[in-house]
Amino acid sequence: MEGSIEVLKGGLALMGYGLAAIGPGIGIGIVVGNAITAMARQPEMAGPVRTTMFLGIAFTEALALIGFVLFFIA
Amino acid sequence: MFEQLILASECDLANEVICAPADVKELFELPTVFHIGELAISRTIILTFLAAFIVVALLYFGLRKGSVIPSKFQAVIESLVQFVRKDVAETIIGPEGAKYAPYLTAMFLFLLVGNLFEITPLINFPITARMAIPAFLALVTYVIFVFLGFSRNGIRYLTDIVWPKAVPVGLRWLVGIIELFSTFILRPLTLAVRLFANLVAGHLMLTLLLGSGVIFIWNFADAGAKSVVGVAWFAFGLIIFVFEIVVAVLQAYIFTLLSAVYIQSSVHPEH
Repeated sequence: MEGSIEVLKGGLALMGYGLAAIGPGIGIGIVVGNAITAMARQPEMAGPVRTTMFLGIAFTEALALIGFVLFFIA
Repeated sequence: MFEQLILASECDLANEVICAPADVKELFELPTVFHIGELAISRTIILTFLAAFIVVALLYFGLRKGSVIPSKFQAVIESLVQFVRKDVAETIIGPEGAKYAPYLTAMFLFLLVGNLFEITPLINFPITARMAIPAFLALVTYVIFVFLGFSRNGIRYLTDIVWPKAVPVGLRWLVGIIELFSTFILRPLTLAVRLFANLVAGHLMLTLLLGSGVIFIWNFADAGAKSVVGVAWFAFGLIIFVFEIVVAVLQAYIFTLLSAVYIQSSVHPEH
């Protein structure tokens, strides 16, 4: 009985991480895609766009990483 | 060195396809090397001091002469320092960013060395995968930007966050609560967790893949035809290895960049 609850908890944590990864996955795709569009249209702005892109990725990625940490804590 | 591959003894080669340790914590708790009184000095602490020492040595020997025609080594160190000063501090914070450049440079180089320990042969452990180091550095940044915010703007720093003038009156309380929560709680938390989790994930993947690969290939006699799995794991591990070089550099950069952004938001809060 104890063991099966442990397995259940592990499975739920795994699902939680999977769910937490969906949103940031889409978000990072949008950020990078739009950054590439911007760089292709105005190559002279590539530097600032790249910096902003990394910022956007960092903010978006945080959600997935919190999910990843919670997976180990749970 | 080899007994560090904790997975080796516990791995059931006949039934498992990948060698995972029973508890991932054992991958991150390095053995104690020696004691100073009550204080146990583990390998992590030694590596932390080693990283700090490497940074100081790099900066000292790189910039000691400061000749107009730089040697190759000096040019590399100068370009690193210039990168943080120009591309991070002055681009983000503005002209007065040069004042914060020393802090950002020291942090960037320390994190860079600490992260690159992950893929350094014979060390293979990122010190930033222990929460203490990212948490401490995030705390320093937190203290700096909160202190700057209050010393530059007085109590208006707080009131502008709780009651933002740029937002329609009806929504101010809601935006205020969200901003208060995100500025004072989420910012330092995500700053630390981002670096920590990235390096934990990297270290975990490398140990699992390369470790499993080595064990399956090494124990060819026991595993039999299954040791082909080990070749696959090892090859996949090598791809991740290259990817982790990018992650290590990128995370050091992002941590520095976000610190600069947070400092900027306190120096010029109206943006």
